[in-house]
Amino acid sequence: MHVIPQLIVSTLLLGGIYALIAVGLTLIFGVMRVVNFAHGEFLMLAMYVAFWAFSLLHFDPYLTLVVSLPLFFAAGWASYRAVMRPVIHASHNVQIFTTVGLSIALQNLALVLWTADARFVRTDYYAVVVRIGGAAFNVAQIVAFVVAVGFTAGLFAFMRWSYTGKVMRATAQDRQASALMGIDTDRVYAVTWAVGIVCVGAAGVLLAPIYPVYPTAGLQFVLIAYVAVVLGGLGDMVGALIAALVVAAVEVIGSYVIGTAWKEVLYLLLFIGILVVRPAGLFGQRGAEALGT
Amino acid sequence: MSAIAPAVVFFAVAGLAPLVVRDAFLLDSLVLILIWGTSAAAWNVAGGYAGQISLGHSAFFGLGAYAAALFGARWELSPWLGLAVGAVVAMAIGLVIGYLSNRLRGPYFVLATIAFSQVLLIVGSRWRGFTAGSEGIPVPFRPGFWTLGIADKRVWVWIVLGLAVLAYLVQLYLERARRGYQLAAVREDEDAALSLGVPARRLKVAAICVSAALTAACGALWAQYIGFVDPFYVFSIDLSVKFALAAIIGGLGTALGPFLGSALVTTVETYLRAQFGGIGAGLVGIYLIVYGCALIVMVRWVPQGLVGWIGDRLRRRAVARVAP
Amino acid sequence: MSLLSVAGVSKRFGGIVANRGISFDVVPGELVGIIGPNGAGKSTLFEIITGFYHPDEGEVRLDGTRLTGLSPDAVCRRGVARTFQKLRPFQGLSVLDNVMVGALTRTKDVRHARERARELIRKVGLSEKADAHARTLSTGQRKRLELARALATEPRILLLDEVTGGVDQRTIPELVRLVRDLHAGGLTLLVIEHNMRVITAVAQRIVALHLGEVIADGAPDAVARDRRVVEAYLGQAYVQ
Repeated sequence: MHVIPQLIVSTLLLGGIYALIAVGLTLIFGVMRVVNFAHGEFLMLAMYVAFWAFSLLHFDPYLTLVVSLPLFFAAGWASYRAVMRPVIHASHNVQIFTTVGLSIALQNLALVLWTADARFVRTDYYAVVVRIGGAAFNVAQIVAFVVAVGFTAGLFAFMRWSYTGKVMRATAQDRQASALMGIDTDRVYAVTWAVGIVCVGAAGVLLAPIYPVYPTAGLQFVLIAYVAVVLGGLGDMVGALIAALVVAAVEVIGSYVIGTAWKEVLYLLLFIGILVVRPAGLFGQRGAEALGT
Repeated sequence: MSAIAPAVVFFAVAGLAPLVVRDAFLLDSLVLILIWGTSAAAWNVAGGYAGQISLGHSAFFGLGAYAAALFGARWELSPWLGLAVGAVVAMAIGLVIGYLSNRLRGPYFVLATIAFSQVLLIVGSRWRGFTAGSEGIPVPFRPGFWTLGIADKRVWVWIVLGLAVLAYLVQLYLERARRGYQLAAVREDEDAALSLGVPARRLKVAAICVSAALTAACGALWAQYIGFVDPFYVFSIDLSVKFALAAIIGGLGTALGPFLGSALVTTVETYLRAQFGGIGAGLVGIYLIVYGCALIVMVRWVPQGLVGWIGDRLRRRAVARVAP
Repeated sequence: MSLLSVAGVSKRFGGIVANRGISFDVVPGELVGIIGPNGAGKSTLFEIITGFYHPDEGEVRLDGTRLTGLSPDAVCRRGVARTFQKLRPFQGLSVLDNVMVGALTRTKDVRHARERARELIRKVGLSEKADAHARTLSTGQRKRLELARALATEPRILLLDEVTGGVDQRTIPELVRLVRDLHAGGLTLLVIEHNMRVITAVAQRIVALHLGEVIADGAPDAVARDRRVVEAYLGQAYVQ
């Protein structure tokens, strides 16, 4: 087995998924200035959606992906109206504990409904291994990567060229000015939140064939997403994308060099290091972290 | 500012209970209420009084727990020594986190605290050579006060009560003394406080260090009481959230709030678990869902917590009585 | 012998030069006004003097000792106090507690600080509101609160940032009287002010800024008629 190509491929595959999770998180922060501490729980719920669609309806996860996007959007919209809207103008602390409360509620909802037992989505093609240029990877990973990239690219295009996307970017830059221009900021927030949930939901469905599904499954992924998001600069979507690849690289190379047991320490230390040295991230505005906004 | 009377009642009841109550389960609950209450109070010093919201306090709790366990199990020294060392190490980490609190605000700081606790979790669960890795450390029971090998739950109540009263007094100091006013100014508006000569940065670091030391002490006592240190528990995010929750539900920035919040939370949890056994796990899950929702509601509409809410009700009734 | 000396202070933010080579002195007991159109760099200057920003060049000294490089709280302890243009009372605290925070910088004794605070509250005319929450105050009352709070730190020089801004016409004379009284009591004041009538009436000297530079420094009448000052405020057409 050739090491370098394998490492690169693994990094790309992993990074693609991380990017999808991170991009939704950073979008929400960029426009709404809220860190969604429940992001991992939405990921976990999406994984369960994929699982139940698979075991009850025999839906292939990729079919579920397409079908569930409107569901995720609706869930995002609803959770915004019910939970986030009342606190959108409240202090940071209130917002932090609101999403933390949501995280607790959702995690335990899954626990109560489906128990702590790990579930698995095992599609027929799961075990198929493809070899290209000396690197080995399985089909589920490739598909996840391709879809994730496509999704992210679509999101970028949407943000860049659609009217709604421009409105969202305007609101991100200056809430008050946007409101004065006649932009319905409440609707912008609802859409932003919902889009963020759709992204992480899609990521969840893509991850279901690859990882076990259980109520606390979101935690490990969301931690990585936080690292990527801060590294890339909170609110910067391109930054999040690049940072996700960096984090994936650290994880993959770290695993290879010092073994899987300690790889998490690596990106956590990277995280702390960034926060100490350049909290605004590689691409963020210097000083943003001191304003907290 | 809190009135002292309710607190005196609370601690008096806690102190006298062991003389009257024989039931081991009730005494156990009381010990847990006091330990979690003290941890919440310690969190409150940094979170409520200094305004530095952290979701990584389990880092300090776990440090204290491991220190006590290692001193007792590995080096056969007194766990009290472990408690002291754990508190000192926690303060050192507190200095780093305090430094970060002056560089980062809001969600950035919270994320940093989470990262710290998770690093410690990984180190604690992987460093086989030092911490016995993911299996955790069983704490040996050697009878005697110096070795904190105490079988009588009543004595445990009094030991933890001592720490609880200390934590309460620290909070009271922060309410009434000069540093308290300054900290209140810092959490309201740090720049305005600075312009008035308040050494905001130093105060925040000091608050975090005190908070860290107290939390570590709780961890040390807890480890000795429970008899086992599991890294996945003592360094967990859930535990960090629990400290914050108890303080918020009880009343952020009030001295008695954390104890009341902890009493409510612990009582419900232990009751559900004990009474309903297996189903209890499911019920605890439902209770936690309610918990999460309660947090969302409280933080927005009842930010003053139980203490504030009760205080308002009493004040309103007092006014109603006086008014013609 | 100057009390406050600003020498060659420059500060840029990216491409914008907020302050360029600003120099002037304030003598003990003086009331110096700082005027200038929006964007002239007045607030930046205050932030530099009080230690919130560090200048790229130049320095600020108080009675000979260097202030530049000190943290804002150290600057206050040396004897510089300020009020803010966008008022910043401690909303959740009472008026009394607000002023006590200032007083506690000079005394460790809480009771003593409380007495000092009550005195100052009386002096600015807020006695009936002493136990009210700061958030219940009107703008004029908040201005007085900020004054009392800053005074509680026993400053050697007080920096006032737009004390008459956002206040209705009736309240202005009271605030002006307050400032006059403080000055008469021997306090040195550096005052940013937009209201020309107010500042020319109370100031002994005026420093005019425009686009980050000092364009005039002298007696109020002279400065008000200075060619460059008129041009800066009203444009070329109005210069006689």
